[in-house]
Amino acid sequence: MRVEIGARSDVGRVRNNNEDSFRVVAALNLFVLSDGMGGEAGGEVASALAVESVAAHILEAANNVSAPSFGARQPDLTEKSNRLASAVRLANRKIHEASRDDPAHRGMGATVLAAWLDGQRLSLVHVGDSRAYLLRSGALEQLTSDHSLVAEQVRRGILTPQQADSSTMQSVLIRALGAHEDVEVDADEHILLDGDALLLCSDGLTRMVTDPEIASTLLTHSDAQAAADRLVELSNEYGGEDNVTVVVLRIALDSDGWLSRLRRWSRGPGRPPGEASQAGGH
Amino acid sequence: MARLVLKFEAMVLKEVPIGGRPVSIGRAPDNDIPIDNLAVSNYHARVYTEAERLVVEDLNSLNGTFVNDMRIERATVRDGDAILIGKHHILVDTTRDAALPLDPGRKIAAPKVDETMVLDTRERRDMLQQAVAVGERSQLAPERTRVPSLVVLRGRTDQKDYRLSSKLTVIGKSAMATVRLRGWFAPQVAAQISKREDGYYLGRGDRVPKINGEPITSLTRLNDGDLIEVGGVRLNFLYRD
Repeated sequence: MRVEIGARSDVGRVRNNNEDSFRVVAALNLFVLSDGMGGEAGGEVASALAVESVAAHILEAANNVSAPSFGARQPDLTEKSNRLASAVRLANRKIHEASRDDPAHRGMGATVLAAWLDGQRLSLVHVGDSRAYLLRSGALEQLTSDHSLVAEQVRRGILTPQQADSSTMQSVLIRALGAHEDVEVDADEHILLDGDALLLCSDGLTRMVTDPEIASTLLTHSDAQAAADRLVELSNEYGGEDNVTVVVLRIALDSDGWLSRLRRWSRGPGRPPGEASQAGGH
Repeated sequence: MARLVLKFEAMVLKEVPIGGRPVSIGRAPDNDIPIDNLAVSNYHARVYTEAERLVVEDLNSLNGTFVNDMRIERATVRDGDAILIGKHHILVDTTRDAALPLDPGRKIAAPKVDETMVLDTRERRDMLQQAVAVGERSQLAPERTRVPSLVVLRGRTDQKDYRLSSKLTVIGKSAMATVRLRGWFAPQVAAQISKREDGYYLGRGDRVPKINGEPITSLTRLNDGDLIEVGGVRLNFLYRD
């Protein structure tokens, strides 16, 4: 399996500092993104602490499977997903303690979104309103649900999605790293397929760029870095009201089993008509 | 204009005016009155005006629609009647002009919040009001306590019967599959089933699975009794006691 990676973070057009952080650890196929909050330098510190401690914990666990785990193990998740959730709980504790002990960082917090690939199996863990999307067969699906007040109100049937989009309360999170000593972490797993594109992004993207625009950008930019660059550009063209960070992953499976070789051979040297027309298009 | 008032126990969750268009009620989020509870069908019932009378009509829901405790298929309702759907009551109120729909998001009337903030536990409780507690309690539908399982009806697999206990269940020949397919031509990952808050969802793998004979086009929620066909096997999705 090949994973093509594109990543970009930008301060946007309105703010003076970038409070987003991301970390790509290609050797582990680990991708972490965080959107910080809190006055002064707090947001930057919190998001940096989040991605740093998640990556460090996973690196440590990769070298030592018996490294201590943080929080209760969830029996319906794989070891890797549990490890990733543990890393996020540890990051929460670190941010919480830093904000408690240092008056300059009082009240800081961060979202976190971490994706870890084990072959085709994706472990996805998040807290806050940074989102993961999957583009599969041309259709875009949001894999995470926001831990925001408006998203919660939509889930409870109090607001319609349209009302949520125009709400003034969009920035109110109901879960974030650093707010409390412990945090509830959402963890999920998916099998990625050949041709899938996975997008991780901070809310700076999803506030400015609509889902159909995200889908068409991913569809028209086959290069992962070009797609990431274009998404950031779009967000800035629409006003760039917030920091924006995107990580784009493109999945290609090399099917080199004897069966697929046999299938390719049996198809003969000619290209199937579908492929030919795709290559000619544009 | 008449209105419908959605209540759970003593708490008012939502008010919806009845206008020219029918008011739809169900579990799917695009209903006018969505009710997030497994006892409620996706499109459960609707209420509309017909010849100046209010009519409630059950849309072949699984658990039925009740007016003043009597199960109905279609019935006229008037002021003070209570429509029961799942564990939620919908009161018919024609006594006054429709109030604006309840919208706690606006009621808080906060100035525009630019900076991201996190609610502490108390604020969160206040702002979400009782709706959260109600939602969490009302999710304790009977279906939840039952065990989701897959029964193999046709095809070669390593077991005849599987209990779904993981967030992700893979169907295929791959080593990471729970439902292991046998045979040379079996796909590595035929399909995947994801556990979500409100149930189990079937998604594609290297093949596009069918539910009850229809190929799925996106992640599709599985209902009790659904037939799944993929990669040469036929499976029955069941909630068992």
